[in-house]
Amino acid sequence: MRLLRSSALTLAAGYIGLGLAALGLFAAPLWYAWRTTIDEGRVEILQSDAQRFAEVFRREGAEGLIAFINARVGMQIAGERLLLLADPTLKPLAGNLPAWPQTVPAQPGSYTVQIDVGNGPADVAVVHEALPGGYHVLVGRDTSRFRPLEQRFWYALAGAVAILSVLGVCGGVLIRRALMARIFSIRKSMADIIHSDLSLRLPTQRGGDELNTLAQTINSMFDQIEQLLHGVRNVSNAIAHDLRTPLAELRSRLEELALTKPSPEQTFADIDAAVADVDRVIRIFNALLRLAEIDSGMRRSGFIGLDVTEIAAAAVEFYQPAAELKGSMVVLKGGAARGRGDPLLLAQALGNLIDNALKYSPDGGVITVSVEPAENGDVIVTVADRGPGIADAEKPKVIERFYRGDPSRGTPGVGLGLSLVDAVARLHGSPLELEDNRPGLRARMVLKQDAPQIRRAAPATATAASLSQEPAFR
Amino acid sequence: MKVLLVEDNERMSQFILKGLKEAGHTADHAADGREGMFMAGGESYDTMIIDRMLPGNIDGLAIIEALRKSGKRTPILILSALSDVDERIRGLRSGGDDYLTKPFAFGELLARLDALMRRSQGDNVQAKIEVADLSIEPLTRKVRRGSRNILLAPREFKLLEYLARHADQVVTRTMLLENVWDYHFDPQTNVIDVHISKLRQKIDADFERPLLRTVRNAGYMLASHD
Repeated sequence: MRLLRSSALTLAAGYIGLGLAALGLFAAPLWYAWRTTIDEGRVEILQSDAQRFAEVFRREGAEGLIAFINARVGMQIAGERLLLLADPTLKPLAGNLPAWPQTVPAQPGSYTVQIDVGNGPADVAVVHEALPGGYHVLVGRDTSRFRPLEQRFWYALAGAVAILSVLGVCGGVLIRRALMARIFSIRKSMADIIHSDLSLRLPTQRGGDELNTLAQTINSMFDQIEQLLHGVRNVSNAIAHDLRTPLAELRSRLEELALTKPSPEQTFADIDAAVADVDRVIRIFNALLRLAEIDSGMRRSGFIGLDVTEIAAAAVEFYQPAAELKGSMVVLKGGAARGRGDPLLLAQALGNLIDNALKYSPDGGVITVSVEPAENGDVIVTVADRGPGIADAEKPKVIERFYRGDPSRGTPGVGLGLSLVDAVARLHGSPLELEDNRPGLRARMVLKQDAPQIRRAAPATATAASLSQEPAFR
Repeated sequence: MKVLLVEDNERMSQFILKGLKEAGHTADHAADGREGMFMAGGESYDTMIIDRMLPGNIDGLAIIEALRKSGKRTPILILSALSDVDERIRGLRSGGDDYLTKPFAFGELLARLDALMRRSQGDNVQAKIEVADLSIEPLTRKVRRGSRNILLAPREFKLLEYLARHADQVVTRTMLLENVWDYHFDPQTNVIDVHISKLRQKIDADFERPLLRTVRNAGYMLASHD
């Protein structure tokens, strides 16, 4: 608050300072030009007067000039022009000065000096001209005639400064008040959002000044925070819900053991079952940790050049016996394709896809794994089955964490399989695509070969039915 | 077999020490990095189990690096709560021979220790491996049982070879995944079991005495005798 206030004041002071500087920069040359023009003009006039006197002197001698000056003095308004003709001893011969002024230098030239012109000393511009025969002529003009003009200039300048300062202060206060009102409303809204309801947003107007843009940015930040919190809450809920089942079973099993003290064989059987319960929990944690590891993008450092076809072939071979057990078949199609990627993760993603396809396709079906290089160098990997497929509406959901499809499918799985494939696909540059194989599902991964971008994985869903190896409602 | 355990967690140590004792091994225990470094450098052990993270400024990897630098080739199993693949790689690069993530089944630990011992005895250069009446020639990839030749697919051969090299030892599913397929993830379904039963079909089906046995709650074993 204090900082804000001082920053608004600094702003106002800065404006005023800037205004004054501008005014000064405007006035100074004007002042200079005015002064020089007037001074030069005055000296020029005085010099031409002096020249004229010198000419009269040359033509008519001292007597003529005395008469000429006396005529001029008689015509002129006293005080406006000072004229003086002096003999070689500086004794006045004619003019409207009583004596040769002490302040005028002996050398001929033009000067500005103080001379008493009857009503006290005044600044006078003079031209001192030497005449033949040692005579001196002095022509001068009282500059105090221009003093009122000069004063008016200074008064006007001071007035302008005063007006500018007042306006600046008022402007600063007004700007501060307006800014403070907007900032206060933003602060208040943010406090409301932080303390009570994360779904509220800052008020924004159409068309954006800087504060509006700032508010919009803050709003989008809140959007992201809300989405993240939502995701975390959902994941926590899902974990809590789905871990509770095996933990509850484990607890009751152990409690029962302690209470009933059954025969040793029964005890060992129960202990084995308890270990299996714990293994289920560990399995869920391992899947979550692996997902977190992939999401963090750290694995990108493990990218190497690899033979994608070879990895696919190994995965196909790995699952072949399990497929044969169902009377199904896994076939590999497509040509040789090389690319950059993480071999371990690709193997796991392919494994998950084939495993999924096996689970959901009917016995005796064919699962087709294909690897093909695209024209731009990317590698396209697909796993297609002839099972029931996934409805379009369900497709985004199945990738979400902890989502289990139709509970009637009731197959084992952690509910993280497709999320994991999606995370691996994103790590390799583009999200997992689920397409219709008419009938069946075709899962498609594109391994981008130009520097891949990290993309945020799909958020978790609250609709998680089960995380555990068996359906929770058995 | 004499084992050194470097592990700071009291309960975990008791659990492992007791299990090792029951399996017929003798074990020494160090509770922190300094003690572990001292004992590992002084005594002579057949294998060492070293926890990755230890209190104090000497952690598991530092002990392993120091041991390897001083020229000791004792097989080392790294125990760790860090499951990242990067951590596993770092552990193995520093000189560890195997990496096991907590929590683990004790059978898994024991099986891996046995495998490490066997490896250090250097028996994997032999040209012919024999388990009871089964003989395997790694170079020519020939498999015979009794008087009959058995034809195996390449991966089946690799599976059998691994089991035979660890004959009479329990081999866990994870060990098979890692060593035969080089997969470091949980395939979620019983794919390994299916591979084993296929192999069993080929080597055991027509014989009276089965060699490839399932060890409950642990894994499999190729047994040379009953």
